[in-house]
Amino acid sequence: MKKKLMSILLVTAMTAGLVAGCGNGSGGSGGDSGSGGEYDGVELTYWSMWNNNEPQGKVLQEAADAFEEQTGAVVNIEFRGRDISTVISASLEAEEQIDLFEEDYNRIALNYADYVADLTDMAEAAGYADNSYQIFNDKATEWAGFLCCITEQPQVGGIFYNQDLFDDAGITEAPATWDDFLAACQKLVDAGYQPMALDSAYAMFFFGYHLDRWIGEEAVAELTTNGGWSDNEGAVSAAQDMVDFVNAGYLADGAPDEYPASQNSMGIDGDVAMVVCANYVTSEVNANSGTELNWNMFNYPAVDGGADPTGAYAGSNSIAITSYSENQQAAFDFAMFLVTGEYDQKMADTANQIPADPNNTAPESQNGTIEVLQSLDSSPLTWNMGLNSNADLQSSIQDVVIKMYEGQYSSGEEVTAALDALY
Amino acid sequence: MKKNKGFIICFTLPCVLTLLIMYLYPVIRTVVMSFFGIESVTADFSDWTFNGVDNYLRLFGSATYIRAMQNMLLIWVIGGIATLSIGLLFAVILTSGIRFKKFFRAAIYLPNVISAVALATMWIQYVYNQDYGMLTRILGFFGITGINWLGTDLKFWAMLIAFVFGAVGYYMLIFISGIERIPSDLYEAATIDGANKVQQFASITLPLLKSIFKTNITFWSVNCITFFLWSRMFSSVSTEASTVVPVVYLYDVVFGTKGNVQRDAGAGAAIGVTLAIFVALVYFITNRLIKDDDLEF
Repeated sequence: MKKKLMSILLVTAMTAGLVAGCGNGSGGSGGDSGSGGEYDGVELTYWSMWNNNEPQGKVLQEAADAFEEQTGAVVNIEFRGRDISTVISASLEAEEQIDLFEEDYNRIALNYADYVADLTDMAEAAGYADNSYQIFNDKATEWAGFLCCITEQPQVGGIFYNQDLFDDAGITEAPATWDDFLAACQKLVDAGYQPMALDSAYAMFFFGYHLDRWIGEEAVAELTTNGGWSDNEGAVSAAQDMVDFVNAGYLADGAPDEYPASQNSMGIDGDVAMVVCANYVTSEVNANSGTELNWNMFNYPAVDGGADPTGAYAGSNSIAITSYSENQQAAFDFAMFLVTGEYDQKMADTANQIPADPNNTAPESQNGTIEVLQSLDSSPLTWNMGLNSNADLQSSIQDVVIKMYEGQYSSGEEVTAALDALY
Repeated sequence: MKKNKGFIICFTLPCVLTLLIMYLYPVIRTVVMSFFGIESVTADFSDWTFNGVDNYLRLFGSATYIRAMQNMLLIWVIGGIATLSIGLLFAVILTSGIRFKKFFRAAIYLPNVISAVALATMWIQYVYNQDYGMLTRILGFFGITGINWLGTDLKFWAMLIAFVFGAVGYYMLIFISGIERIPSDLYEAATIDGANKVQQFASITLPLLKSIFKTNITFWSVNCITFFLWSRMFSSVSTEASTVVPVVYLYDVVFGTKGNVQRDAGAGAAIGVTLAIFVALVYFITNRLIKDDDLEF
């Protein structure tokens, strides 16, 4: 009898627990979920280029949870890290269960266009043009033939500097020309500062920018592919400028150094004023050196009689939706949820990056970046401004460029002759 | 008898199938791929275009491939001599009856337990750094300054030294196992005959370690050919000529680089085939040069 009573009590307790458990489940997933959410029952698989312990990964997970609460759609995030670029191609070809993925927008447009959805109609219906930088949409459309991705993390390149050191040296205006820039460097030296940090990893970026100013990206790509550097007066002048820059002692002590030692010196030593890089350098330096520098940025200065006075590098990590996804609209809505409004602002603030939505505000570490980004009215420059065009010679060209910054060449002619010797 | 055959087939079939699918198929596919123009590694066969030997001709005319092979050969020859010599020296010392043998053996082997990423970071940031690196401080104490260990001229050697440091312990252990296998009565007889330690080493230890040398040279060759991580760590953002090696070049060719979306899985396969031929050649030559079947003990 006692056993029976005990059994009944246990069964009652288990049933009560089960009911209570179910009750908690529905309550925990929010009022909309499971009770008429727009995407109830929809599951999205999201391959991320971030890791779950990175600021971007954390905000992404928060956004996924909030999206689920709001719409009922479950977003399963697989944090693949940067190695996503080595596995995504095979996964797309095998039509693996992926609804959305993050990648560099030029790879999405040029390598994976056959496997991603055309977002043109959905973007138009959502008014995406008002919440994005058109330059990235135009470029992705030009490459792929259709709008193939949504910008998540815009990037822009130029000269990033410590505003406090500029103020202290009496530099009141950002240099617009190479002569102004050299004058600013001299003022910094006179004030006891070191003008320019440079890690060998970004030597090509620095020289690429200067070459672009003299002869334009297209001509740089042509020289990189076929040689003939010594016959191009602009290329020789660009190299000569760099040789003079090094000889004038405007590079920081030890530069070109091993990444990220030189750029870190801006925060650690505090007496290095500038670095030529993309905007993520600010958060890297802040994080590595444990400082909060007073960052600002200006576009790379123009040279007299140069071919491209105003172009700037701009790129983007973007979100694409697979062409075989069965929930493309839900995937698109999640992408929009992430790259506009509250979560885009949160992403920008947490990861110290440029917000993807121009209606949001850039954090202080990104001062100046929005102005440069908005000033671009044509195609942005690509990474290294054409110096990457020859895959076979890329590392050999980089070797010559680093040697130039190490001061191993005494003239522009020597630099271009060394480049020509590679062909 | 028939039953036995059935059993044999049943037991060997999974192994044979696994070998064929997991090993032979990728090898054959890679060799075939090396004669085709293919953008993506997993592209459908219908997207392949026949290139003949163009992929190989392109490789042999590529300055980066040639530099990568030169770097690999330098690592193989100079790094190999350094690693195996130091490993052998440590092995001989540790088997000579010194005190704290276990401690030293563990200490020398320790870098093999540590992740290569951590080890490379330590060398780059704490040994070679121009501001606060250990080498800079030590040389600075003697008044020598201004050496950029990670500049274009020294970076390769800086990387090689760091790599050798990490590799010595592994080869030392193999040498120790070989030395401990040699019967001690050989040394006792030599001592009675008046041979000193150096003579014993030259006349007993070295000849009886021939098979171990063969093993170590093969392992070292494979290690050099798969030398990837150290090169990536010493040129972390983009590949530099001073540290490029064939597998890094292969990776760049197959997957593209930052700012360059060109991909060529066919050329990547051709690099893989040339490396496989290199290993086979090393194995063949080592077997021909080092004969270990003339000694029994």
